[in-house]
Amino acid sequence: MSAVMTPAMRSFESQWQGRRADALSPWRESAMQRFLALGVPTVHDDSWRYTNMRVLQAQSFRDAGANDSALSAPGDASWLTDQGRIPSILIVNGHPRLSAVAAQIDGFEIRSLRELVATEPSRLSRYLEATSDADQRRWELLNTALFADGLHIEIKRPIDTPLCLVHLTGGAGEGNAAYPRVIISAAPGSRATIIEHHLNVGTEATLCNSFTQAELGAGAQLEHYRVFTGHEDATQFDSLDVVQDRDSSCRQFTIALGGSVLRTTLQSRLGEAGAALDSYSLLVGHGERHVDSVVIATHGAPATRSRQTARSVASGSSRTIFNSKVIVSAGASKSDSQQSCRGILLSPTAEIDSRPQLEIHTDEVKCAHGATTGRLDPEMYFYLLSRGLDRDTAQSLLIFAFVADVLTRISLPAARAAIETALIAQLPNAELLRAFR
Amino acid sequence: MLKITNLHVSVAGKQILNGVNLSVNAGEVHAIMGPNGSGKSTLAQVLAGREDYQVTSGAVIFEGRDLLAMPAEERARAGFFLGFQYPVEIPGVNNVYLLKAALNAKRKSAGLPEVDAYEFLSLIKEKMKFMHMSESFLTRGVNEGFSGGEKKRNEVLQMLVLEPKLAILDETDSGLDIDALKIVSEGVNSLRGPQRATILVTHYQRLLDYIAPDQVHVLGGGRILKSGDKSLALELEKRGYDWLVESAVA
Ligand SMILES: Nc1ncnc2c1ncn2[C@@H]1O[C@H](COP(=O)(O)OP(=O)(O)OP(=O)(O)O)[C@@H](O)[C@H]1O
Ligand SMILES: [Mg+2]
Repeated sequence: MSAVMTPAMRSFESQWQGRRADALSPWRESAMQRFLALGVPTVHDDSWRYTNMRVLQAQSFRDAGANDSALSAPGDASWLTDQGRIPSILIVNGHPRLSAVAAQIDGFEIRSLRELVATEPSRLSRYLEATSDADQRRWELLNTALFADGLHIEIKRPIDTPLCLVHLTGGAGEGNAAYPRVIISAAPGSRATIIEHHLNVGTEATLCNSFTQAELGAGAQLEHYRVFTGHEDATQFDSLDVVQDRDSSCRQFTIALGGSVLRTTLQSRLGEAGAALDSYSLLVGHGERHVDSVVIATHGAPATRSRQTARSVASGSSRTIFNSKVIVSAGASKSDSQQSCRGILLSPTAEIDSRPQLEIHTDEVKCAHGATTGRLDPEMYFYLLSRGLDRDTAQSLLIFAFVADVLTRISLPAARAAIETALIAQLPNAELLRAFR
Repeated sequence: MLKITNLHVSVAGKQILNGVNLSVNAGEVHAIMGPNGSGKSTLAQVLAGREDYQVTSGAVIFEGRDLLAMPAEERARAGFFLGFQYPVEIPGVNNVYLLKAALNAKRKSAGLPEVDAYEFLSLIKEKMKFMHMSESFLTRGVNEGFSGGEKKRNEVLQMLVLEPKLAILDETDSGLDIDALKIVSEGVNSLRGPQRATILVTHYQRLLDYIAPDQVHVLGGGRILKSGDKSLALELEKRGYDWLVESAVA
């Protein structure tokens, strides 16, 4: 069986045909064949029911290449580097420019995937193996087939300095496509903070199909941020897979502030006892943006813990979707999970969908979930009015208070301030909110 | 100062107030008592401008203005204050920011400039000291995680900062320990004056030992069943409400 050959599919196939063989070709070949057989997901695929690929199917994409960008310093591109104080690596269309600074942070060992493919491919092949749910993970298959370069980051011990990866996608002309791949391996007992900032060069239609895999050894702690600020014609599919060993902990922030169509996936496998995931999602629908976010926590061992907190704010005719799922496998007793998804609609033409789901295959678990979508809390609103605040101020304050559930959890002050600033610009009465801070 | 005439109010299609008449003059303190569910909070909330409560007939004049025609925020700026029976928690909105925004909204409508940041802080600190509140409450979210009594103190703190002409305190005394009751009473008394008035909604005669009311009213069946002086509160303490409610029905 093979999928309908739309312009998009044809263009992916021709990118594949233009690839040179490398040591990972067998894995790439099987991923590509599988992708070509399955095709782009459709709304009939359960996990894609809210995101229609019709527009994308009519587009044609080509390899964006490494050198199209006029920007050379990551600090010029990203406002998440605290004006250059946070060491960063610029990744242009998936091709890292390994700067001397970032490569030398004590405790990190950072190498390009291109180099590793050439020198030690055996260290990479296992990351390219098809997973059991590969049929549902088609963009990951395509990334595996087509990534030209990327980063392998080893975290060797506890590191206080955060690292920022600045992903730039785009270039001259329409239809630039990039396939950034990042592999993070945290040694037992290590600790680090990694920020991935996705943004665009130029204003023309682009596709970024990014995939990050993280492995946390026993007791390792990873704080991971992914912040999306693409332009109005940018399509992005981003996946983050986390595999967690005993007593490891992952704090993950997904901040959606840009793009035309943005789909983010987080899958964490809590594979050993004591592993914990805290995921925070801030999904901001603005203009005609479409944000579709999926978080799946799989409790594969006893006494594992997951928390999913999502806050969506949708204005204009935007749409935000948050699908969260907790799977408690057989034998994962004493698992503890909570899902809290809340949304606020700021316009009658905006739409928010939240679907918290639970799949439990064992007894003796503690799982709670809740989802609400609505307008601002009328009790809070009345309280503020009753103190004389005008309606715009009251509304803005409450919106800001609503997203505080995520913002206040950000532990890097500079990142929080920068995210707040970008967020405020997309909320009603931005000037009022600036004064409030 | 306040004149309520034949006020009828329904909530979610249910008639709650059935012709309330009440006059409060400047300089006075009134107490409103009455059984649970008799409509005391409904009256207070309607006066504060809650929009989901429907006034089906009647009139309210506050300082010569048609109160019911004013939106909630304008009532506050004109000097009306409601101390909520259940103050809502607003995590993420800073307590002191709310106070400042509220004070500035009022000043702005009076044609005054915004309060100076330094002056404001020293004013707040003084009032907090008066209310025996620790300064840690400055930085917390509005009522966020406050105990029941702390929330009530915070309401009175807001009142002291805003210096309203007319305050309705809806069971501000409920849930207060004995010391807090005294502090809150001192707060209320400190605002007493010939230009101001207070309405206390309460279930307890004890509050009236600290804040002597000029009049006591009993609300029942959606209207004022009986009014009297302070001795009425003492009588209610002894006899309960049944005798009033029964005679009203009869
Ligand atoms: N949203 C609503 N829908 C239906 N009934 C309501 C609603 N809000 C209030 N009521 C009813 O209105 C009546 C009056 O309520 P209110 O809160 O004014 O009483 P109260 O006198 O303040 O009582 P308490 O002493 O217990 O504070 C009650 O019977 C209450 O159940
Ligand atoms: Mg009440």
